[in-house]
Amino acid sequence: MIKLIRSEVLKIRSTQVWFWMLVLSAAFTALGTVGNTYNAVQDYQQGSPVDYYSVFTQSEGAAVALLVLGLLGLTTEFRHKTITPTLLATPNRWQLLAGKAASYAVFAIVYAVFCVALNFAIAIIWLSAEKVPLDYGHGVPGGVGKTFLSLVLTGMFGLGLGALLRNQAAAMVFGIVYFFVLDGLLSFVPWVRKGYPWTPGGAARAFTSNGSVSGLPDDVHLLAPVAGGLLFLAWSLGLLLIGGRISLSRDIS
Amino acid sequence: MTAPGQPAPGQPAGPGRPRGDGRIVVDNLTKVFGTQRAVDSLSFTVEPGSVTGFLGPNGAGKTTTLRMLLGLVRPTSGTATVNGVNYESLPRPLQTVGAALEAASFHPAHTGLQHLRIYCAAADLPARRADEVLELVGLTQAAKKKTKGYSMGMRQRLGLAGTLLGDPQVLILDEPANGLDPEGIRWLRGFFRHLAGEGRTILVSSHQLAEVQEVADRAVILNRGKLVRAGTLAELSAGTATTVVRGPALGPLQQALAAAGFGGTTEPDGALRVRTDQIAHVGHLAFTHGVELHELRLEEFDLERLFFSLTEGEHRAAALGPTGHLPTGSPGGPPTGSPGSLPAGVPGNRQGGAR
Repeated sequence: MIKLIRSEVLKIRSTQVWFWMLVLSAAFTALGTVGNTYNAVQDYQQGSPVDYYSVFTQSEGAAVALLVLGLLGLTTEFRHKTITPTLLATPNRWQLLAGKAASYAVFAIVYAVFCVALNFAIAIIWLSAEKVPLDYGHGVPGGVGKTFLSLVLTGMFGLGLGALLRNQAAAMVFGIVYFFVLDGLLSFVPWVRKGYPWTPGGAARAFTSNGSVSGLPDDVHLLAPVAGGLLFLAWSLGLLLIGGRISLSRDIS
Repeated sequence: MTAPGQPAPGQPAGPGRPRGDGRIVVDNLTKVFGTQRAVDSLSFTVEPGSVTGFLGPNGAGKTTTLRMLLGLVRPTSGTATVNGVNYESLPRPLQTVGAALEAASFHPAHTGLQHLRIYCAAADLPARRADEVLELVGLTQAAKKKTKGYSMGMRQRLGLAGTLLGDPQVLILDEPANGLDPEGIRWLRGFFRHLAGEGRTILVSSHQLAEVQEVADRAVILNRGKLVRAGTLAELSAGTATTVVRGPALGPLQQALAAAGFGGTTEPDGALRVRTDQIAHVGHLAFTHGVELHELRLEEFDLERLFFSLTEGEHRAAALGPTGHLPTGSPGGPPTGSPGSLPAGVPGNRQGGAR
């Protein structure tokens, strides 16, 4: 498995996609951190409680990067027909899928470390400059840990979705639009919004929250973080297994 | 390029080759796509230390067979094994089998070196092996160039380099000469000979029949998914010898040959093609019947002629113009210019069992 991970990591590193995704992750992380730190400073100056959890768990910006990398995992192989030499080197298709999932987990951790560091650096410098006391309680350590896990699962989710759809353009458009736009919109559509907590996006949002999420209609209640995490795990694993089953059981011709 | 004609594949930098006889065995292999039987009860064996040409017209089932052998396409029935096991069960596949199926299986943003290093990592080979095989195929200068800038010939060489990564015992190549220039083809010929001389098993699919005849010891010929002939070139050439006779008035000789039991055909230009290697006997008959000859020669075995005769219907159908007539000078036409002239001299088919 180690050799397979090395090979898959080399594949990703050999193109520039990982770098631009890292830049994008940094931009999203910085943007989120700036917004939440600004609010924290305002709250502190007005004597309101500071939401340290939101300030120090802004690394989810890397989710889009992991989703894209995951989506590219198999769709690129089919698009450029590199699936043939890949399967010649690793004929066991489930082993290949597991190797890809593991390699995206490696990238998820690297991205998470980078984004957490950026998140903390911006927040600490700004809060210190504004004389806001630093407080790493309020579930922050757990929130950071959940960010890591969430990114790993997002990579798996993208890989599974890519395996299911195979067509790279379709997978990219559908994956990004659904996960970052449509899924959120579902939470506001009458009749269907009560199902939102059970969607992949709702589950991921519940998982990375500290139990209270603002900006949702009153009749939409997210699952508890642990339940949300388990549901997101089920979505990611399920999609990976179904996508792998459908895509990799096909003849490569 | 390393010493054209006398390439040296080099030794693997990584762990040695897995043991095995290197024999490829295809047994009753069948693949059905929908209602079409792409491969139909195909059986043949490729022996170690030989170069075997895998021949057939487009759509004959060659690529499907190779893909089944490599575990990329699942057979409907039958088995295809290397060293007695199917490809998926090989403990170290790249160290056992090197395969190049298409010349465009590269990520365009990867350099040739990156492409090979990725598979070095997957096969647990040291990264320097990629540099070694690039040198072997003469691509060192282009090692750090992105594959999207490679010519067809360079892609073929990169594909060949990929097959050599694990210093495998068995090589399976699909149309490796496509896109190569004459020097490249000459190099490839020497390359095959050298590899076969090392006791490797080489199965090469090609439509460049003259090239196959130059390098192959054996041939497996498919048509419409079925085996039509398999064997050594000597076996395939048995009974196909032809004596060509030209002259201003060959009528008396033609009658004498028929009376002596020789079969043959008349070319559109009046030349006689006699199915025999007894050239002296034919010359004697001409002399005794007072026939003036302008040419009397023994035609050497021609794999291309045999191939076209065995797959004749396929090629004639493909070559038919919109009016249903065979175009003049069509490469798909029958080999002697006379439909159905040669098959009578070709040993019968051995479908479904060439071993």
